[in-house]
Amino acid sequence: MTVPITDKTPRRLEINKAGGKMVADYWERIFTARERGEKVVWYNGSAVNPIFQAAGLAWCHGEAFSARLAAQHLEVPAQLAGQEYGYVGELCSYARTHLGCAVLSQKRASGAGQTGGWQGSASATGTGVIGLPEQEELASRLPTPDFFVNAYAGCSTGQQWDDISFRVFGKQVPVFNVSMPYMWSNRPGEGYMVGEEWETSSRYVRDQLRELITFIEEMTGRPFDWDAYRQNMAHIKRASELRREAMALCRLTPTPATFWDWIANVAHINFLPASQELVDFFAAVKAEISHRVAEGVGALPSERYRVYFDGFMNWNKLGFLAKKFASHDVAVVAGRYNEHAFWQEPQLIDVEDPLLGQAQNHLLCPMNHATKTIEQLVLRDCENYNVDGIVFHSTRTCRAFTNPQRLVARAAQKKLGLSSMFFEGDIADASFYKDEILESRLAAMLEGIDVRRARVGDPR
Amino acid sequence: MSGDFESALGTLSRVADDPDAYVVEWKRRTGRKVVGAFPMNFPAEIAHAAGLLPVLIQENREPDSIGRNLLAEFYCGYTRNLADSAAKGTFDIYDGFFQADHCIQLLGAVDVIRAEVPQAPVYFGQLPPSLGDGWSLGEARRTMGSFVEEMGRFAGTDVTDDALRATITLFNENRRLLRGLFASRRAGDAALTATQLQVLVKSSMVMDKREHTALLRQVVAGLAAVPRDDRIRLHLSGHMCHAPKPELLAAIEECGVVVVDDDLFTGSRYISTDVAEDLEPVEALARWYLQRDAASPCPTRVKHETDWEDHLLDAVEASGAEGVIVLMVRFCEPHMLYYPELRKRLNERGVPHLLIETEHEGLPVETVQTRVEAMLERIRRTRNQTTTLEVPA
Repeated sequence: MTVPITDKTPRRLEINKAGGKMVADYWERIFTARERGEKVVWYNGSAVNPIFQAAGLAWCHGEAFSARLAAQHLEVPAQLAGQEYGYVGELCSYARTHLGCAVLSQKRASGAGQTGGWQGSASATGTGVIGLPEQEELASRLPTPDFFVNAYAGCSTGQQWDDISFRVFGKQVPVFNVSMPYMWSNRPGEGYMVGEEWETSSRYVRDQLRELITFIEEMTGRPFDWDAYRQNMAHIKRASELRREAMALCRLTPTPATFWDWIANVAHINFLPASQELVDFFAAVKAEISHRVAEGVGALPSERYRVYFDGFMNWNKLGFLAKKFASHDVAVVAGRYNEHAFWQEPQLIDVEDPLLGQAQNHLLCPMNHATKTIEQLVLRDCENYNVDGIVFHSTRTCRAFTNPQRLVARAAQKKLGLSSMFFEGDIADASFYKDEILESRLAAMLEGIDVRRARVGDPR
Repeated sequence: MSGDFESALGTLSRVADDPDAYVVEWKRRTGRKVVGAFPMNFPAEIAHAAGLLPVLIQENREPDSIGRNLLAEFYCGYTRNLADSAAKGTFDIYDGFFQADHCIQLLGAVDVIRAEVPQAPVYFGQLPPSLGDGWSLGEARRTMGSFVEEMGRFAGTDVTDDALRATITLFNENRRLLRGLFASRRAGDAALTATQLQVLVKSSMVMDKREHTALLRQVVAGLAAVPRDDRIRLHLSGHMCHAPKPELLAAIEECGVVVVDDDLFTGSRYISTDVAEDLEPVEALARWYLQRDAASPCPTRVKHETDWEDHLLDAVEASGAEGVIVLMVRFCEPHMLYYPELRKRLNERGVPHLLIETEHEGLPVETVQTRVEAMLERIRRTRNQTTTLEVPA
């Protein structure tokens, strides 16, 4: 039976409201980039955007746009366009949505599918996409790219995705690939930020970023502004430090903020322009959280359980899941997605010579490690955040994030005695989410935690 | 057909059906180590040159059971079967494992093997998936070099250039023999069924190459050309990393078709490219890796110079295929990504085609045959129209 969501609503960070406007403004600037004569780059994977920013480009992150559409429940037209084009429903829904946008954007650019001209009509454009004009309007608003950059870590179809984007655009749009070695750790002494593999891979990616800058100079016809780049990276470094300091405060009980709050400002650290405004934003995030700590205010009205979230975000269900867990007095205090992505090791960035540190942060993507490293990271987080269990989002079309989950669950049980549960869902395809499964498995896990507590006389 | 032919084909069929039995018998007979390798680009020559038996691990025919909870259910059947085999202890016959391809599902399965077969070392050297970058060749060379070094460490003996050269010659000979059979089929010879050709390729992935080549020669010598009859001619495309079930191939052929060509991994893709014999071996292997995609474009690789769809259409024209069946391993992401490009071009050229997804367990023969027959009906109609058009006024 599905438990109705009650008034146990989590206290969201107030600052994220202002943050929402920053994101909306960013996308509006992307949609109107052509009007300002800016060149547009489409990119996927790592946050190479400080380089784009220094080169005076407008940058559009494919996954981010797919996530935004899903979070706004506007993903369907793009996914239908992708389906009509031939993509199978089990394909990465980020890619499906983004490639669907490519199909729509290309049509819009070529005048074949002027919005408004095919409202409610599937056959007029030959796409088979039916209705949903407003949603379609947004999905097709991405300006077509002048070039692509792919810098995907972990996912083994990340590069292939843009190879297909290249083909969808008739093989006319240049592409630059940054290849990220998968951090497998063959030998003893190799692992998270240590060993020969780490050193070699870091230099390999740094050298490719240098080549990327040369490529961008060719694309823009301008010399690269290294000073601007260093300034961007200084802002990124400071913003990341503030974000991480604020996240560390969530180790306290009750937690002053939740995983869902960190999800709500992922966009900022991931792809918004590096600027003093960005630094100020994360300073404000930290200030609000510090204030809550000082006041003894938790993010949940009644925090009874603390859990860790492993999996990609289910963007269709962001607010829904936040309320769902809160309704069970469950504080989702951290997750692999927010802890181990997005400039999570800012100390690696040398602001005078930031390329190596940038490359290294990209390599540390939470999908780019073998299971033994992921296991170490997740279990360390679980101890740091003092959690009672792990919720695994079995992210249907993201095999990269899902990859180590079963083995990590086993290790968490064996090494830390932690319960875990799996629920099915997806990053951007709502059809894979099964509410009853989440509900029943969450109830079972919490019951198990209660039994364990009772055994040791824990009164919570 | 001679007794030698029947006997050789029978031996190869038994190996293809039960690779593990061959591995156990080879180890008993030689006392040497066996390397379990994963598809699709591991340079098996290096293991052979080290005196080891490289075995490209095949999907087995057992239903998955105790290993089902080690990988998500939306991983491909091959990787889930690997995880299950590891959990069951089936892989204890291997002394070590090597992988060269960055497929996240495969890496997940190999990570399970790492956990479940802890006594065997697992080495991953990543060949660059993007083939057209300025550093692609250098990176491929570096990875091939690391395989040579690591294999020597694993075998306890240096892998010499001389040993590599001899192995490359041996492997090329094997590939050439197999390619000859595929070329004959493409040119009109229907002596071997799709299932039989799969046996020849699959057993080559498993057996000691010298032994395999000897048996293959007997098969080739015993073959008599059989001209195609008027059955509808089909091309089979796709199915990366592992073989489609023989029952599926048989079900397709039972519909009254003759398979005239393929680009299956356990087919023409596996044997598409030789390693240059006039180059330094590591250099030759690095170039072999990059050239494989040119010879048989693969959706798992990123490149802009080659197009699978063009290659497919050229192959269809060369063999006279009247339709294409795309065999897609369910959840194979690169294939899912590339498929619309194939579909688009096949449609543009008016080539009838059918997409069939496969899984480790369950083969709905009747459903497959119904769908195949529907496509054949369309082809027959086209044939009749062509015939009508050709009648003089």
